[in-house]
Amino acid sequence: MNIITTGVAGTMESSDIIVTIEPKANDGIELSLESDVMQQFGKQIEKVIRETLDELGVKAAKVTAVDKGALDCTVAARTMAAAYRAAESTDYVFKEVKAK
Amino acid sequence: MSFIISEAAGLYGPQLEKLNRFLEKMGLRYEGGAEYTVFLTDEDGEVLGTGSLCGSVLKYIAVDDSLQGEGGAAAIVSRLVSRAYMMGRKKLFLFTKPQNEYMFRSLGFFPLAEVNGAVYMENSRRGLSDYLDSLEKGEGMQGAIVANCNPFTNGHKYLMETAAALVDTLHVFVVSEDASDFPFSLRYEMVKRGTAHIKNLILHQSGDYMISHSTFPTYFIKDMAKAKDVNVELDLTLFGKRIAPALDIKKRFVGTEPYCEVTGAYNEAMKRILPRFGIEVIEIERKGGISASKVREAMKNGDINLIKRLVPGSTYDIIKDMVVPSKGAREYGSTDRGADADETV
Repeated sequence: MNIITTGVAGTMESSDIIVTIEPKANDGIELSLESDVMQQFGKQIEKVIRETLDELGVKAAKVTAVDKGALDCTVAARTMAAAYRAAESTDYVFKEVKAK
Repeated sequence: MSFIISEAAGLYGPQLEKLNRFLEKMGLRYEGGAEYTVFLTDEDGEVLGTGSLCGSVLKYIAVDDSLQGEGGAAAIVSRLVSRAYMMGRKKLFLFTKPQNEYMFRSLGFFPLAEVNGAVYMENSRRGLSDYLDSLEKGEGMQGAIVANCNPFTNGHKYLMETAAALVDTLHVFVVSEDASDFPFSLRYEMVKRGTAHIKNLILHQSGDYMISHSTFPTYFIKDMAKAKDVNVELDLTLFGKRIAPALDIKKRFVGTEPYCEVTGAYNEAMKRILPRFGIEVIEIERKGGISASKVREAMKNGDINLIKRLVPGSTYDIIKDMVVPSKGAREYGSTDRGADADETV
């Protein structure tokens, strides 16, 4: 999946996360995460975002996420939606978002 | 307590009154510019919170005490940010009181500059550093000019030539913000052509990091007089602390300002604040009373001869088609300068 524009999904409300995905010139995922629960779950949120992008085949992207205590399934769903929007793709492959 | 969220684009009449009343109650001032506004209300329609999008700046964010801890601010900022993204505005900014900094940090904003009384924040951790990384670097003793060039005059040309002769590299930042008569792309083109002969000059866009002091929001500072000081300080602190060190800028040049009080005060503030960051401020005598506002006035009057005297040929080529020539040139020097704040440089 190629990221060609900016895609956003989510909100900054409690139990949600807002994920912004932007194009990046060279390969790699550059992630900037802010979270109310950084200490406890920062690593886990980052893992879910990276895995979700990996599953979608996103190789290069700049990702900004502001987390408000979202569950893993929410993190994955928001990441997916933002990626599809940033790729301007509507070839959705819906599948069950598993709690990781 | 719960709240109902409503949104409005382009406020007028009763909605504008509603916003005005609420802001006043919260100790804020509406100073225009709200393109898109979010309201939080109770079931009776009483406003409990609000926030607006003005260009790429989030403004007028206020939440009633009764909604503290209910996620009111998050609901507002969330909607404003989504809206801005939808409109293709990705770099967002806000000005707030220091006591609110922490809250906005948790909503994905990062401080750019802080002074006593105000914080300037951006919705990206790396926004400013990315901008600074992208700038072409110079060498040796380096100086800078921040200029609006609305339009680029012989005065600007003289200032830049004089300054360039005093340093090894001169960085000229053209204010990107489109709050002027001439759009940025045109102003930039004028400066580019008009300074092509100055070999040690590097031209930059100011990005969103050098704000023309005339458009600084002041609504959250009670005392108007103090508000102006705070804003100038914020702008200069950002320049002195973050921008200048990244380019190794040690001198800032500015034209003398005998006409405009606002700009004169800005120059004074520059001399007071920038030396704290090891930057010398050098005032260069303005050339023969040339100012951008005089050019704009002459353009209004269709005074071709006067325009030709005030601007270089390269600027004239760009603006000539915008002027409807009048019969008989007007007398030179009788223009009313008003309180234009953007005109020195």
